[in-house]
This record gives sequence, C-alpha cells and structure tokens, in this order.
Amino acid sequence: MTNSNLSRREFLALSATVGASALAACSAPTPAPAPASAPVLPTKADVTLRVQGDEKNEAPILPSFQSKFPHIKLEFVSVTGIDHEEVASKILTMIAAGETLDFGYSATEALQVYAGMGLSQPLDEWVKRDSTEMADFFSEVHPSLVQAMMYEGSLYELPFDFNAANMYINTKLFKDNGIEFPSADWTKDDFVSAARKISKPGDAGKQVYGFGWTNRLWGSWMPWIFANGGNLFEQEEAPGGEWLWGTYYKNDPMAKGRGGGYRWINPVANSPAVVEALQLVVDLYKEGVTPGMVLGGGSELQGLLGDNHLGMTPGGGFWAGGLGNAGFPKGSFDVQLWPKWKNQTHQFGTGGQWMVAASKHKDEVWEYSKHRISKDGMQTWFDTNGIVTTPARRPMLNATAFAKTGPEHWQVFYDTLDKHPETAPIPCPPISNPMTTLFTNYTGQAMDFKLTPQAAMDSLQKELVDLVARSKDVMYPKK
Amino acid sequence: MTDQVSKNSRSARKRQPVSLVSWFAQNTLKGMARRKALLGYIFVAPTILGVTVFVAGPVLFSIALSFYAWNVFQPAKNVGVENYIRMAADSRVLVGFFNSAKFAAIAIGLQIALGLGLALALRTKMTSWMRTYFRTAFFLPFLLSGVATGLVFSYMLNSDFGVVNYYLSLLGFAPIRFLNSSEAALNSVILAYMWQALGFSMIGMLGGLSNVSPDILDAATVDGATGWNWLWHIILPLLSPTIFFMAVVGVISALQIFDQPYAMTRGGPGDASRTMVMSLYEAAFKNMELGYAASISVILFIVIMAVTSVQFISGKKWVFYQ
Repeated sequence: MTNSNLSRREFLALSATVGASALAACSAPTPAPAPASAPVLPTKADVTLRVQGDEKNEAPILPSFQSKFPHIKLEFVSVTGIDHEEVASKILTMIAAGETLDFGYSATEALQVYAGMGLSQPLDEWVKRDSTEMADFFSEVHPSLVQAMMYEGSLYELPFDFNAANMYINTKLFKDNGIEFPSADWTKDDFVSAARKISKPGDAGKQVYGFGWTNRLWGSWMPWIFANGGNLFEQEEAPGGEWLWGTYYKNDPMAKGRGGGYRWINPVANSPAVVEALQLVVDLYKEGVTPGMVLGGGSELQGLLGDNHLGMTPGGGFWAGGLGNAGFPKGSFDVQLWPKWKNQTHQFGTGGQWMVAASKHKDEVWEYSKHRISKDGMQTWFDTNGIVTTPARRPMLNATAFAKTGPEHWQVFYDTLDKHPETAPIPCPPISNPMTTLFTNYTGQAMDFKLTPQAAMDSLQKELVDLVARSKDVMYPKK
Repeated sequence: MTDQVSKNSRSARKRQPVSLVSWFAQNTLKGMARRKALLGYIFVAPTILGVTVFVAGPVLFSIALSFYAWNVFQPAKNVGVENYIRMAADSRVLVGFFNSAKFAAIAIGLQIALGLGLALALRTKMTSWMRTYFRTAFFLPFLLSGVATGLVFSYMLNSDFGVVNYYLSLLGFAPIRFLNSSEAALNSVILAYMWQALGFSMIGMLGGLSNVSPDILDAATVDGATGWNWLWHIILPLLSPTIFFMAVVGVISALQIFDQPYAMTRGGPGDASRTMVMSLYEAAFKNMELGYAASISVILFIVIMAVTSVQFISGKKWVFYQ
C-alpha cells in the first residue's frame, strides 16, 4: 500500500469531524438542560401533563377533574422505591437524564432536596390568587403541616397527607400479657415494661418481640430522639411566611410565631439526648425485646404485628390501611401517642404535590393540585383508596373513615398535632438523601455492636459536619 | 528549453487540484486500492462510531468529570484532584474496595472449585435424563435477576423468621444473624451470588471437559492415573484455558457486584457488605455527586484493569493450550 492509498491516518482525518463533535460534547460538564415539559400546544384541548404518580390511585378523582378541565390530560410516570429517598433519587436521575415531568408527589424527605436544587416551583402566586379556595383548605389543615411544606418563606406543596410516628399496639398480645391499653400520657418506662412482658424467646419463627422498628429516617428510633428532646440537627425557623400566616391563619393560636419553613444547618447528632435514645434501642435489642433490624418501609413489621409476633411498633395513619388491606381485622391492633420521655414531642412527615419549576403548564398543574386537595377531591380519593395514609384535612379523620379498619383510637392521629403543637417534621435539609444514608449506616453499626452508641453518633456527627461543609451550594443559599 | 517546459508541466500537474471523488475514481491500480480501502473503512465505521460514542466517549467523559464537582443541576466546578484526595480518606469507599476484593476472591475461587466439582460429578455414570435434569437445575438460577435472588435470600436468611434459621433451630443450633451481623453479612451475600452463578461455571467446565481428548484420558488411565493425581496432573492442566476464562470473566463481574448486596443488606450492617459499585451508586444517584462518583469509577476501572492484567501475565505460567 503506497502513500496515495487511504491510510488509517487519512481515514481518521476524514472522520475527525464526527469524532471531535462527539467528544467535544463530553469535554466539560455543563448543567443538564432544565427538565423540560411537554411542548405547549396551541389549543387548550391538547395540554398533556406528565405526572409522577400512581394512575390507579389517582383514577377516582380524574373524572371530576376532567369534567372541569377537559383540555387537560394526564400522563402518569410511575416511580417506585423502598423509601422516600430512593424515590427522590430516581426522580433526580430522571430529570438529570432529560425526562420530562410537570409535577410529582413528594414527602417531607424530598421537599428541600428539590427546592434546594431549584427544581421545584414555589406556589405563592397561585395560593395568593385563589385565596377563597385556599382559605377553605387551610382552615382544616394544621399549621405544622403547612410550615413543613415551606422553604425559605415560600410554600412548595399543599399538604395532602401526613403521618406522625405513633405507637401501634397488638391488642391480643397486650391482653394475653395482662397489660392495660396505655393512656395518652404513658411514659418510656411504661413502654419498656410492656415490651419486656410481651417478649418471648423461642425457636426461629416462633419468637414474640415487644417492639420492632425499621432502619430508616421516619419512624425508626427517631421518635425516641424527639421524645428525649433531641434532633439530628438544630431546628431553626426560616424567615418569611408572613404572607401566608397573616392571611390564612391569623386567628389560629397554633400558627403564632411560625416562620417560612425549617432550616437544619448545624448537626447535633452526638448530643446526649440522641446518644441516650440510641442506647435505649440498642439495649432493647441486646435484651431480645426487639428483632434484628429491618430494612425498608415497614411491610415486614406489619406482617409481624398482624401475626402476633410483635407487640408494638412506630406507625402513622397509613398503617391502618396497610394492616386492613393485609387482612388484619379491626380490633386486632390499636394506636396510642408515642410515650413521654423528657417530653412528648412527636415527629411527622407530610406529603403533597410539587410543581416542576421548568414546567410550561404551571397553571394547569396548579388546577390539578388544587382539585386534589379540594374537599370533594380528597374525600373521593380516600373513599376509594381507603386510609392508606392520613388525610391532611382534620374533619376527614372521623369515625366513618376508620369504621372498616380501625384503629379504635384513630383520634390520636390528629391529636398528635393539635395537642402537641411542638411536634415537628423529621429533619430533612436539602442534603436529606446523603444524611439518611449516614443515619441508617451508623444506626446499623451501633445495632451490630461494632460501635457504642456514643462512638456511632460521634462518627455520624463528624460526617454530617463534613457533608454540610461541602454542600453549601444547596444548603439554604439565601442565608 | 524542452527540459524547462517539462519541469513546468510537472509542477503544474502537481499543483492541479484533484477532487476527492476523482481521487477515488481514478481508473488505476492505486485508485482501485483506494476504493477497496474505503469500502473496508465504511464497513468498520459503524463499529468505530459506536465504540467512540458509547464507550470511548463516556470513558473520557468520566475521566474528565472526576476532576469536577457537579450535581447536574448547577454548573460544574473544577476541583482538580480533590475528589481523589477525598476518596483516599473516605473510609466508607475504602471498605467498599476491600469488600469487593474479598467478595471476588472468595466467590470466584468457590465458583470455580464447585463448578468443576459439579461438572465432574455430572460426568459420572447416570441416566441421560438425570444428567439433563441436574444440568438444567443448576443452570436455571443463572437466568434469574440478581435483585430477585437477593430478595428471596433476604427472606430465607432473616435472622428471626427466616426458613434457614428455622431448620437450624430444629437441629438444635442457635439462630445465626445472617444479614444483621457484620461477620456474616458479606458471606451471606456471597452465598446468594454463588447459588446463582454456580450454574454458569458448571456449564463452562462441562464445555471444557468435553473438549478434552478421550485419548489423553484413556492414556492417563492406562498409565494408572487415578483420584487426586488424575485431577491434578491431567484434568486441571487440560482445563486450564477454561479455568482462566472463568477467572477473568468472574473477577471482572464480581468486582462490579451491586444487585445482590443492595437487595439483601443495602451494604450493611454499617458498611459490612458495602461494595465498590454501591459507593459509586450512592455518590452518583443518591447524593448527586457526579464528579466524586466518576473518580470512584476511574479507580474501579484501574483496579479491574490491573487485576485482569495480572491474571493474563500469570496465566502464561499456568494455562496450557492443547
């Protein structure tokens, strides 16, 4: 082959343009294109909203929505995960990959994750615009839930549901062991005594445990931290929010002094209250009062409780529907407030729909979100789907709602907010995802006896401080 | 004068522009050779393009990204080698590297040994349908997804209500905290992986054994080779190419293990069963630290390259091709 033939070098030169173009795109990272929405079409009839959610669950309220807005169609994108942070991770990845989305559902765990990255849209302008409908809504919703949906003075979601960590109780095991159903002001010592009485060692598959919990952020050993007067971070009030409190809650004493959401900036994971709370659950495990740590969202514990292998476990209103759907009859379980330790502060999480900031159909998204939290919308949703979570509207928690499933003391769910206004959301700063990973990791090391509770929390504290330091871009930039 | 004209004519011909099409279309031997070469390059172009866009491009992108801090939604910042410095001090990532290495060494060692054992067992006298049944039974798990296998094993190995501990208790043993103890968690994941991957190893070994010339085996038998001698001096050398293939492919796959440990333990308790790829996943998709994740992937790539190179170099000493 002579020089005048097409050598490899010449071929590469000929194809350099194509190769260079391809590699040029990879040479330096640039921000991903903002999550795009479905294209705006000229006529109202053609608007299609892409929504992250479960089509089956939403089906009951779609006909009434589409009778009002026949031009708005919904296309559902189902995203599943064992826990909220896993769902949030998937959604972030989807958006980063250019997946289009107009709105989705998020719980407290992800609210500040999306807001901190600028992915979600504040709803302030619409909330102010539709003040009549909003006044009706807010009149039935506890201000704690609303504040948990705020970030840096703006409202990012309308609370649709919430779950506070209360104590679910296996009524048969209580009765069999001669334990009275606890009063609302029962204490940590009452709890430990009951848990010990219920626990019965036995061969694999036959043991009975007094208490069980999953290794996650909400409802794990976190309720003990709150009841002991601790938290993973110092909880601060963000400034702002007067526009909302002054308009919709001006006569509500429980709304007095509330700010524009929460900030969790300074980790206090190795404070004595947190270490003591971890020591409690580690000791209960050592004693054989609790089973081995369970991962995930709690379905395994639901099975144990319903099958009389577990006496008590943290759960919210969603457990009533979960146990009912799993076939456990009304009366086989009940619920009580979390026991008092240094105080009786509960933890909760709330959820609602968030609007994607890049959506080109924000007005349409708002209309659906508003329809979903309307009296009719919520009632229809819960009537059809059952009490698979706790409605945010106070009047919807009534005897009728729990008639089929129980628990008998369903009033506990809203009492947690009304009678304990200090009750607060689980700490979920914009770094909630990596924070949860660290929390569950060190919890695991303490429960495996690899680290003492103090050492585990010291390590967690150090890692949280490092995490906050390297996450300044998303951690409350307005401060 | 004539020479001058001739020189001018040659230089004019040299300067004369030749179009690309006519360059290829020249009806000469060189033109034909060019056309032939072009045809060849056209045929390989899709592959070259695919490799460039889908392999080389992402690899180069990952290497470049490892020097940035980037959460996708905000502009990237060049941080130099900070990600690598952070990784060197990140005990969680280092534990992941150590666990992956341990996982690969134990799992692949056992996989090869047990795969060979099963393959030899299936060569013993048995009816044809029994051989087919066992081959199928051992290979079927390989077709399952790692996540499904992990979930099933996590239920079976549950320390309190798992079926394995139930039978152990019937035999008088105390329950084992398969997934909740840092001593047992990684071994439990290896067990699940082994159950799934053993069939592949067995089929590979059976294929290797079927390639062994019966004449050699007959000659060995005539020479009195039996038992351990037969295995060590005859079978293993003859199977060494298959074993080498299994070791290389297996180690590459094991160093990238993610699905079973994620489904079974999430890397816990603590970091007891965390693997390299779990650290990578966590950094990229849970923490949105794409630059840091890229630096982990670069080191993972280098580790796999190094291990594979060592395998190939050492293979020259113990792999025998017939």
